[in-house]
Amino acid sequence: MTARLRNGQWWMHLFLLGYVVVLLFPLVWLFLSSFKTNREITANTWGLPTSFSFDNYIAAWETANIGKYALNSAYVTIAACVLTLLFAAMTSFAISRMKFKRSNKAVYQFILLGLIVPPGALFIPLYRLIQGIEVFGHPLYDTHWSLILVYCTYALPITVFIIYAFMLSIPNELEEAGIIDGLGASGLFFRVIVPISLPALVTVFILNFIGNWNEYILSQLFITSESLKTLPTGMATFNDGYRTNFASLSAAVIISIVPVLAIYVFLQRQIIEGMTAGSVKG
Amino acid sequence: MNKALKNPITYIAFIIPTLALYAVFFVYPVIVSFYYGFFQWDGITDKMFIGIDNFTRLWEDEVFRKALVNNFYFMAFSLIVNIPLVFLISIIISKVRRMRDFYKSSVFVPVVISTATVAILFGVLYNYDSGMINQFIRLVAPEAWAREWLSDPKLAMLSILIANAWQNIGFFIVLCLAAILNIPKEIVEASKIDGVNGWQETWAITLPLVRPVLFVMLLLTVSGTMKVLDIVQIMTNGGPFQSTEVMSTYMLKVGFRSMELGYGSAIGVAMFMIILVLTGLLQRITKREEVQY
Repeated sequence: MTARLRNGQWWMHLFLLGYVVVLLFPLVWLFLSSFKTNREITANTWGLPTSFSFDNYIAAWETANIGKYALNSAYVTIAACVLTLLFAAMTSFAISRMKFKRSNKAVYQFILLGLIVPPGALFIPLYRLIQGIEVFGHPLYDTHWSLILVYCTYALPITVFIIYAFMLSIPNELEEAGIIDGLGASGLFFRVIVPISLPALVTVFILNFIGNWNEYILSQLFITSESLKTLPTGMATFNDGYRTNFASLSAAVIISIVPVLAIYVFLQRQIIEGMTAGSVKG
Repeated sequence: MNKALKNPITYIAFIIPTLALYAVFFVYPVIVSFYYGFFQWDGITDKMFIGIDNFTRLWEDEVFRKALVNNFYFMAFSLIVNIPLVFLISIIISKVRRMRDFYKSSVFVPVVISTATVAILFGVLYNYDSGMINQFIRLVAPEAWAREWLSDPKLAMLSILIANAWQNIGFFIVLCLAAILNIPKEIVEASKIDGVNGWQETWAITLPLVRPVLFVMLLLTVSGTMKVLDIVQIMTNGGPFQSTEVMSTYMLKVGFRSMELGYGSAIGVAMFMIILVLTGLLQRITKREEVQY
């Protein structure tokens, strides 16, 4: 019976392999196109490029500022993720482990409200707000901090939701031992609860990292200076300017995809787990 | 004993940063967007209170209606095409014994690419002269079958939907696959003893038992398609002739191009209400049944 089943599996593999090829072929095609000239893309669509020259990559790198955009994205993304993680972990600890029953419940439910309202409905008031805020006499508008604070805020509900659930499941004995050792609340947090919660923290870090790294609309609304743009916004600007220059465009897209795919190859299990952890966020 | 955990100063210090950010960048904008909705305002001169005129205007606004229809088209396509495809592929992946991880990782690749990049990628693929799609059509069919995918009002929406499906299906497959693989082995084995064959098993056992994940997928699809923005904005920005206009692209145009901040906020409020009603209805219908193994 097993032998029969195994024999019956070839068509399933055929189907799945066919699906994977159709799904990923556009990326292969784009990769090959990125080494061709514009004329070659049209005339020799399917073949290998006649020579593997990096001219398109050099042109894309120089005109599209991709290096600068990627640095900006990395800075904004990491700062927002670290801030989110710190604040969400502190709040989750307070409302899951500390003994303020009524306030805990109220704070938790208040934060969960954020899962209902999509930030997409709030672009106009958010934009006005960012334009109006000044910190120490400097406007917040057109700075990386505008993005960092807003990304952090909108990542908080889902992050608290996940970390809270995890912290709630930690057995009391561990923190009792800590208290006997003379730890205060913040000592318990940093020395006992955070180390135990590491798996949940990694998961939400990845979830937020990918979300912030790919965020486009807010960055387009808040940032006007060319030198401060993040990668998705920079790519979109490049796209508008080079709509007909497919060779450069292909190279630019490949440059922006490669680091992501490289990280994905090494961390696929964690990334898949982290990203799907957010699916409760209906 | 638990004195440490009753320290009010630490407690307040730990929740204040979150609540402060939340109050400024979330609660305030929510309140203000309702408030703006009752005013006519260009952002420069004084606001003028006009009651519910912005909301009644929505009813008569043909562009808004068109945008709403397009959002529903988006949703219908995702429900009718994407979700069955997701089930089909997940079930087949769950049935194969080898290379399961390979398939799972491969289908997830488009998910990690940013939507902005996906939109640009498909802009290249859809190009009339040298895009991959038309070149493929020319390879297997007469030249006349090549199309202006993104500038033909009849095709633009479909082209965006395909790009969107390309990016999103992998995410749902991974969710669905996890649910299928979570079904206890005993149930499947018991059914085999009862003489259930492969496809009967899928219909009678797998599908009913993964209902909760179907619910999650429906919820994500409904809210995701009602607020869809990035991919539409970069690929067509609502054009040609507003054939791909959706609520959020229209909201941004009204708010930032025509500088009608009051009306734009009203569109945002309407969008939020529609999502709330639809997801509420969905929750009613499915009643969130818990599956008992």
